[in-house]
Amino acid sequence: MIKGLYSAVSAMVMNANRQQLLSHNVSNMDVPGFKQILSTAEDYMQTTVIDPLDILEEKNSPREVGLLGLGVQNGQEVIDFSQGGIEVTNKIYDLAIQGTGFFHIKTPDGERYTRDGRFMRDASGMLITSEGYQVLGKNGQPIKIADGTVEIGSSGEVIIDGVSTSQLDLVEFEKPEEILRHDQGNLFMTDTKPTAAKNSTIIQGALETSNVNAAQVMTQMIEILRAYEAAQQMVQNQDELLGKTISSLGRIG
Amino acid sequence: MAYSLYHTLNISCQDMLNRMMDLDTIANNLANVNTVGFRGSRMNFQELLSEQKLEGNTLINTQVSNNQGVITRTDNPLDWAIQGNGFFAVKLPGGEIGYTRDGMFQLDSKRQLVNSSGYLLKWDGQIPKETTSINIENTGEVIASLSDGTLKSVGKIQLASFANPTALINAGNNVWIPSEASGKAQMVTPGTSGCGIILSGAYEMSNINLADEMTHLIRVQRDFQVTSKVFQQTDTMISEAIHIRKV
Repeated sequence: MIKGLYSAVSAMVMNANRQQLLSHNVSNMDVPGFKQILSTAEDYMQTTVIDPLDILEEKNSPREVGLLGLGVQNGQEVIDFSQGGIEVTNKIYDLAIQGTGFFHIKTPDGERYTRDGRFMRDASGMLITSEGYQVLGKNGQPIKIADGTVEIGSSGEVIIDGVSTSQLDLVEFEKPEEILRHDQGNLFMTDTKPTAAKNSTIIQGALETSNVNAAQVMTQMIEILRAYEAAQQMVQNQDELLGKTISSLGRIG
Repeated sequence: MAYSLYHTLNISCQDMLNRMMDLDTIANNLANVNTVGFRGSRMNFQELLSEQKLEGNTLINTQVSNNQGVITRTDNPLDWAIQGNGFFAVKLPGGEIGYTRDGMFQLDSKRQLVNSSGYLLKWDGQIPKETTSINIENTGEVIASLSDGTLKSVGKIQLASFANPTALINAGNNVWIPSEASGKAQMVTPGTSGCGIILSGAYEMSNINLADEMTHLIRVQRDFQVTSKVFQQTDTMISEAIHIRKV
C-alpha cells in the first residue's frame, strides 16, 4: 500500500515538472526562432511481487506473482525542430530561414547554432545577433558589412551596392533532435560538424516565429491538470485506506 | 530539473510583466503614428536559461526601426525630409547634441533654424537679414533668395550617420542620442555613405506601420491570456498539493 502512495506522488511530481516546461514554452511563444521543448515520461523502476501468503507461511521459495511498477519519472526532453511561421518585419537585418538550416554563431563559449535571425550591424560594422554574438560566414570568419545598400540573398550571400561581398554560413544536421543540445538564449550546441544546408532559403526582412502553438499548449495543459488531479486523488485514496487499516483492522466487536 | 511549482509561477509572472512592457512599446508606437519623423521601437525578448534551469524569457534590448517613413509633400521650402538613414543634428537645451528626423523647420526671431520641437539645427551657415525665401538642395546646400533678387549659397547642412542606427536611445521629443552600440555620429554630406538625401518641401511621416502594430498588439494580448491561464493552473496545482490530506 505504501508503494502505491509513492507511485501516485511520483505522478504528481512528474506533472508539476511538465507544467514548468509548458510555462517556459508559453513564455517564449513570442520569441523568434524559439523551438518548443517537449516533455516525455517514462517508467520508474519495477519490482517483483512475491505472494504474501507464501511469506506468511514462511515457505522456502516464495512464489513470484509478477512485476509492479513503482511510478513514473520525467524522461529526456526533446526539442521540436519543426518550422515556425514566417512574419514579415521589413527590417533589413531580420532574417528567417525556410527549411532545416541554422545560422552559425560565434560566442565566447564556442560555436553555436540558432534559428533566431534578429541580427543587427554593430558600431564596428560586424553582423551580430541581438545578444551581441558575431554571425559567421562560409569562410569561417565573422560577417562584416560595409557601408552601402545591403541586400541578403536567399542562399545567404551578402550583397552591398550590388556586389556580393561574403556569404552567411547556413548549416544543417541530419538529425538535429538527437545531435543538438539546448544552450542558453535560443542557441544550440553540438560537437558534431554540420554540413552545408541544401534545401534552406533565407528570407530577408522577415523572422521565423516560435513553433509554440497556443491551441496545443491549452490541450497539453488540460492533460497535465487532469493527470495531476487523478494522482492527487490516488494519494488521498491510499491515505484513507491506510487510515481505515490502522483504525478498523483488528478491532473486536 | 528542479521541482518547484512556485518557480513555475515565477516564470509565468515574469512573462506577464514582460508582455506588459511590450504593450507599453506598442502603445508608444501607436500614439506616434502621426508624429513627423518618428521612428518606432521593437523590444527584443530572448529565452532565459540559467545553468540549464528553465527561466522563461527576458528583455535583451530595444531596437529602433530604421525603415523609411512615407514622404509627404507640403511645398513649404522649410519642410525637409530625409530619404535614407541620416539624421539632422540639433542642439538640445542642455547644450548636448541630439539627432532627429523631424525636419519641419522654421526661422526664429534671430533667423536661426528651429524644428517643431524648438531645437536649433546645427549647421555651418547663417541666414542673411535680407533673405526673402530659403531653398535647400538634395546635397544639403542652403540657398537664400535675397531681396534684391539674387540667389546666394549661405551654408551647408550635413547629416549624421550611424553604424547601427537601430541602437540609438530615445531621448524624448522625437530626439535620439547615440549609445555605445550605435557608434558615434559621423557628419556626412547628404547623398554619401547611405545617409540619404534631403528633400525640400516635404516631410517624413512616422515609420509606424499601423497594421503591423495592431497585429503585434493582438499577439501580445493573446500571449498574455495564455500565460495568465498557465499561471492560474499552476496555482490550482499548488492548492491541490496543499489539500492532499482530507481532514
